[in-house]
Amino acid sequence: MASIRTLHILNKTPDHPRFNRCLASLGSEDALLLTEDGVLAAASDRFTGFAGPVYALRADLEARAVEVAGGTLSPVDFEGMVKLTTEAEQIISW
Amino acid sequence: MSTLIIIDSAPYGDWSGREGLDMAFSLAAFDQSVTLLFIGAGVNWLRKGQSPEGISQKSVEKNLSAAPIFGVEALLADGRDCQTYGLTEDELIASVSQVELGPELLNQYKHTVFAG
Amino acid sequence: MTDQTLPERNNEGFLEDAHTWTPDIAIVIAAEDNLDLSERHWEIIEFLRDFYNKHEVSPPSNRLFVKAVRESMGEEKGNSIYLMQLFPGTPAKTACRIAGLPRPTNCL
Repeated sequence: MASIRTLHILNKTPDHPRFNRCLASLGSEDALLLTEDGVLAAASDRFTGFAGPVYALRADLEARAVEVAGGTLSPVDFEGMVKLTTEAEQIISW
Repeated sequence: MSTLIIIDSAPYGDWSGREGLDMAFSLAAFDQSVTLLFIGAGVNWLRKGQSPEGISQKSVEKNLSAAPIFGVEALLADGRDCQTYGLTEDELIASVSQVELGPELLNQYKHTVFAG
Repeated sequence: MTDQTLPERNNEGFLEDAHTWTPDIAIVIAAEDNLDLSERHWEIIEFLRDFYNKHEVSPPSNRLFVKAVRESMGEEKGNSIYLMQLFPGTPAKTACRIAGLPRPTNCL
């Protein structure tokens, strides 16, 4: 069932020190979920070094009027977020 | 299910680290396995001899000494960050183990949560 | 001692400053809860005073209050029935109020 090694939940803006710390610790079987201020990274290309799946909470994107550039990132609703947490062996909340 | 709570902000400047401590105590209250890790400026929580009476705050050093009584499993500190802040083994409060923050450490915990 | 002469307290009857506490104050606050303090009460009150001096924090919840008493005095006194009989209602709150400690943070 667990198809994600570690789910990284990131709620910090790209200029927060924890943002880069999180990016640096992404492994090849990991997934990244952007929430709250973290979705502002979707407005730029701040996580392009990571080949794994990147998700962003739709409500947080819409709240901030952040448009998702096609292909790089999948918006998820709250249900989708819960599903991701159940699919991960381990979760890190940054 | 084990949880690692990471405090990366210095004591006394804001409340975010104290929220992490409350979280750890709450998990321990329900007998959940919980460990506290101090990294970055957070290692300054662990300096011996704090007396914050003059700034009208409670001593986080004394607060932390209740952690083992409440059932927090371990107090850990990133060794490199201790060095950065000039914290030698002698200057650290007792009961702290120095570790290296990396995948090997994080893999031991089902949940890792940063405070604040 | 009348209520007029008690040190400053908050709206739930907790002392604003734990250092203003005296045993006489404990007797007055306990009487508000219709409690007559026995040796068994005083033992727990002294434990809490000592705990606060060492840790500068009240046991945040009932469960942690029980845990802390158990660590110090063993199962016989560190159990919720014993502490609930001594300090009815929410034991951590009642006991901390009488012992002059701040309100436990996680006690609803």
